[in-house]
Amino acid sequence: MSEKGANIDLLFRNGLKDYEVLPPAGVWDGIQSAVKVKSRPIILLRVAAVITVLLTLSFFTYRLSMENSGTPESVVAYNIQAFDPIISVPLDKLKPLEIKENNRFNNTTAFAPVNNTTDVAIDFDINDSPAQPLSIMETRSLSISNTLRAKNSLLTSFNILETKSPEINYPDFQYLPENNTPKLVNRWSITAMASPTYYSAINAGSDALSSQILSSEQPLFSYSGGLAFSYKISKRFSIQSGLYYSSLGQKVDGINSYSGFQQYGTTKSGHNFEVLTSSGTVVTSNPDIFLSADGAERIVTAYTKDVFDPNKASLQPVNTSLDQNLSYLEFPVILRYKLVDKTIGINLIGGLSYNLLVHNSVSTTLDGNVYPVGDTKGLNPLSLSSSLGMGMEYNISSKLSLNLEPTFRYYLNPFSVTSGTYIHPYSFGIFSGVSYKF
Amino acid sequence: MSEIKKIIKGCLAGDRRDQELLYRRHASKLYAVCLQYSGNDEEARDILQEGFIKIFENLENYKHEGSFEGWMRKITVNTALEKFRSRHNLYRVDDIDTIIEPDAEPDNQDYAGLEANDLLDIIRELPTKYRMVFNLYAIEGYSHKEISKMVNISEGTSKSNLSRARVILQRRVGSYTGIKKKAANE
Repeated sequence: MSEKGANIDLLFRNGLKDYEVLPPAGVWDGIQSAVKVKSRPIILLRVAAVITVLLTLSFFTYRLSMENSGTPESVVAYNIQAFDPIISVPLDKLKPLEIKENNRFNNTTAFAPVNNTTDVAIDFDINDSPAQPLSIMETRSLSISNTLRAKNSLLTSFNILETKSPEINYPDFQYLPENNTPKLVNRWSITAMASPTYYSAINAGSDALSSQILSSEQPLFSYSGGLAFSYKISKRFSIQSGLYYSSLGQKVDGINSYSGFQQYGTTKSGHNFEVLTSSGTVVTSNPDIFLSADGAERIVTAYTKDVFDPNKASLQPVNTSLDQNLSYLEFPVILRYKLVDKTIGINLIGGLSYNLLVHNSVSTTLDGNVYPVGDTKGLNPLSLSSSLGMGMEYNISSKLSLNLEPTFRYYLNPFSVTSGTYIHPYSFGIFSGVSYKF
Repeated sequence: MSEIKKIIKGCLAGDRRDQELLYRRHASKLYAVCLQYSGNDEEARDILQEGFIKIFENLENYKHEGSFEGWMRKITVNTALEKFRSRHNLYRVDDIDTIIEPDAEPDNQDYAGLEANDLLDIIRELPTKYRMVFNLYAIEGYSHKEISKMVNISEGTSKSNLSRARVILQRRVGSYTGIKKKAANE
């Protein structure tokens, strides 16, 4: 029995070895819709990597700018409380006090107050030499920063007790404080910026249709640029708006196009083919173009493969993909927060943009020749996008600066709502340009 | 870099074209395996689909050691077994170590003229529990000990099922061969 068994085993083992059976159609569709989920995190990881690189760059830029400018901060305030007189200055001997401090505050001058109940704050700009008081403001007290307290040469001028802030009583303060706050200069600026843009989309749902559509689309070269005005609300905050022009594009793979179809007639509806994309439905307007796809569900047409064979009709193959181009005019409202205000400044940027659709076309190419195909239907004429970025600003002069702003943009509403799909576009661009302050 | 390595690399990067290329190249062979382990076409289709999803999900674990086709075949067979375990309850005949000899001898030992599709048809006519054991032992080369763990039966049951499967197959092969010879003579 065992020999017979071995024979029958061999018969089946050898007979079925290398045997192949063509699987039924549709199995691949089920597989690709399931495995697509796995490739999405790669994009998220790339976004995370970009953010990490930006943060690292920002940190090093911040460190660099700190080292270049030196410490301590350029503006200090003095806290001098007026009660028990330690230094009494007679009215007739009132004169400016000389304050010396290890080559840092050369010829720095403090003004001796006359009125013993009046507290003053004196701002000095350390970088200006010789240092002069920039302004005198009324305040409850004047304080010396901890850093400066350590400087013996400065403290001896005020005869400071160890446990207290330096205290000076001036009987007759004749020097009336000026009640003027420092004014922000150059509140306005105009900026010209442009950027190449990486454009893609996120599938917010988990349906097979959206995944299938997205997997066939590749970003084309996209760009954005324009002019923006910004107004400085405060020392740190500014608001920006302007007008940008954005050109977005994507390649839709798996759509075979042929030319020479016109002689075979057109449908009554006016267009021969409809192609489902993440941005909307592409509708052909060129009667000479014939379209077919591997996945039959992508194209809606009366000319299916079983009705019309482009190869038998000897149509000329053009390409295996379509180029979908959209252009928008953007009206951004952006809030900028200055994280670092040095020669190399760092800004945090966030806001919203209203995008108005101004151009919409679909084409395909053969050897550099562009064949118009049609356009995309169902697009929202107005879309809203959110922006988040981190800008670096290099001040060439007090008026002029160079800007580099990596910006991530997420479209809050899709370009179009295709039934059953949940696809949100996003883009990433590194804007560079010049700013002029006035 | 070999072509298959390039395709695998592309698949790992999420390249849809490479994924489809891998599928197109190997689907026919693996579908034959699925048919061999399943009782109907619908089940075979499910096994192929689930098997390929596992192949793509576990591709990063393939170390380029040994045959890639063998690695894919193993995943497909395991998928078939999982389906089998979830759908069928094998008759668990514990502690049967003696092989039950068939009560009838096959009437024909001449296997000439049988095509691969005939063999596939014959094997798919086997009861599920026999088909599983026969495939794992005779085609894949697993031992009864391994099969007992894979299919959750005792070693004795595995031997018994194999023996019964062989008898049924020999009879069917004989019938097929006889029919074919008769048809050829006519």
